[in-house]
Amino acid sequence: MTLARTLPEALAGAARSKRGYRFLNARSAESYRSYADLYDAALRVAGSLAALGLGPGDLVAIIVGDPESFLTTLFGASLAGVVPASLYPPAMTSDLPSYLDATMRVLQACNAVAVVTSASLLPHIDALRELCPALSAVVSFDALQGPAITPGKTPSPSEIAFVQFTSGSTATPKGVVITHRNLYANVTAFSSAYGVNASPEDVAVSWLPLYHDMGLVGMALGAIYVAADAVLMTPEAFVKRPIEWLRALSRYKGTISFAPNFAYDLAVRRVKDADLAGLDLSSWRVAGCGAEPIHASTLSAFAAKFQACGFRETAFQPSYGLAEVVLAATMSPGGRRLHVERLVADDVTVRRVATRANGTRAETISVVACGTPLPGHEVRILDEDGRLLPDRHIGEIVLTGPSVSPGYYNDVDTTRATIRNGQLFTGDLGYLSNGELFVCGRVKDLIIVNGRKYHPQDLEWGVADLAGIKRGRVVAFGTTSAGGPDRAVVIAEPSGTVPASELTDAIRRRIVDVCGLVVDDVVLVPSGTVARTTSGKVKRSATKMLYERGDLASTATATSGA
Amino acid sequence: MAASSPAEIETGVIEVLKNVSRRPIDPTPASDLAADLGFDSLQILEVVAELEDRFDISIPLNDVPAARTVAQVVAQVAALVNGAATA
Repeated sequence: MTLARTLPEALAGAARSKRGYRFLNARSAESYRSYADLYDAALRVAGSLAALGLGPGDLVAIIVGDPESFLTTLFGASLAGVVPASLYPPAMTSDLPSYLDATMRVLQACNAVAVVTSASLLPHIDALRELCPALSAVVSFDALQGPAITPGKTPSPSEIAFVQFTSGSTATPKGVVITHRNLYANVTAFSSAYGVNASPEDVAVSWLPLYHDMGLVGMALGAIYVAADAVLMTPEAFVKRPIEWLRALSRYKGTISFAPNFAYDLAVRRVKDADLAGLDLSSWRVAGCGAEPIHASTLSAFAAKFQACGFRETAFQPSYGLAEVVLAATMSPGGRRLHVERLVADDVTVRRVATRANGTRAETISVVACGTPLPGHEVRILDEDGRLLPDRHIGEIVLTGPSVSPGYYNDVDTTRATIRNGQLFTGDLGYLSNGELFVCGRVKDLIIVNGRKYHPQDLEWGVADLAGIKRGRVVAFGTTSAGGPDRAVVIAEPSGTVPASELTDAIRRRIVDVCGLVVDDVVLVPSGTVARTTSGKVKRSATKMLYERGDLASTATATSGA
Repeated sequence: MAASSPAEIETGVIEVLKNVSRRPIDPTPASDLAADLGFDSLQILEVVAELEDRFDISIPLNDVPAARTVAQVVAQVAALVNGAATA
């Protein structure tokens, strides 16, 4: 099917359909909004933004947690011809002062002219105005009641559709610029038969945050471009009761739902057997998986648990992508069983070659296939000197194609370091085999000890299930002292159930077992020290910086006497 | 549902915490959920869901960050249980 070229045209097209969003609130109370209604509401938001004096090129930051308000504001800003930027709202458990500090730095860096936020956040954001000279208006979503504008001229494909501030693993978030051309190219590609093969008869079901590409583009905007129904719930609702995600798929006969690996894991661990009765997942034909390392064991466990409810393993479509290519660069074909390669661990870490394990070796690494590049896109694997590597050799994943972002908003240096001549240097490691991409880790975070390269994810994953460690609160990295060799460091948050000396011993022993690496330093830190990005990834470089500066408090001093 | 006594609520809260933790923990009223008992934000939401089911209440997500210790959770649940009972 042919899609609209720009977001305003896609919105107008969806408004002519009989489809809409179904918003699920707490306890699954629902409100249905047709795309026609939503379009009218967005035109009123556009009128209000214009009345504030905002015009072309002005950046409007959207800091709104409620899905319906967020999307209406985004669409309104798009129809008003201003530049919408999504920022993440404060997490339920986050500390408000540090959240506001980070938000202020984003608003300063992007010269935001206006902020649209919730009534409860409004006074806090308004207080940032004196430190953000460009910021002329801070308004509550509830105040954007119009009057409606009449739709203006269609933007050119090279204009900015939106800016997405990523939760990237660095201290300062970066705003990825997505043009209408980028958005059209990626939605067209992942909706095609090479991707999820979407049609207006599909029903998308999502709890993903809308300030992240998978939730915004993959689910909410994908549904608008295709003019299909979408059922949207909040991330908090899912985390609180993972069964609600599956109930929504069952109740509304959902056909497409994406989620990162951890969500499938959470569903396996948290959904009670008693809740499986009455759950019908037979309509779910695309279970997308991406945005973080994919573990074959997690997906297999999910398929086994929910098979009795009609879930099919062939629904899984692992994919690879990042916000800098809008959403997806590769996607495995629909209707295929999981394709997993078991590799010789030594060859991956030392020789940087993906050798298939023959079954007799003890140390192996399993990697899930992420499919072939989407139509019009190309994946190349380059070595450290930028030379093209042959099949099954591990190097940096470099992407080209119409989805590649022109760069980061107001940030020439970061853009130059990442996107050159239309090539996106992803910083991720992987290899190609018969045109299919396998992702192995990240370039920047490699731990190199005695000439051997280790992926910190492998260390972190290796100790994740050790008793005495808080789940997901482990960071591994290599640190270089002047002239000396790399030292491997593991930082973990203990849960307080295992004595510290036993725990550090257990961590060291496990990493030797899993990776053959002797860790130089294990530091147990107080709860909350291992910072995470908004999508749940550990902020490795931030933790590493604290460690190198000697600013990391260990629990030995922080909780002495406890 | 009949109003529960503070002691019954405390027993119930501690039982939920032990079940969700899946590890041997020994919560006391003074225990901090994160620092002492090792609950992360995912597990805290799991605790919220379990408490809602057990006491037939609805805990507003905005109130969750305010309860850091077992005693504070017990007080929150008690307020909701007794509020619902007298409504």
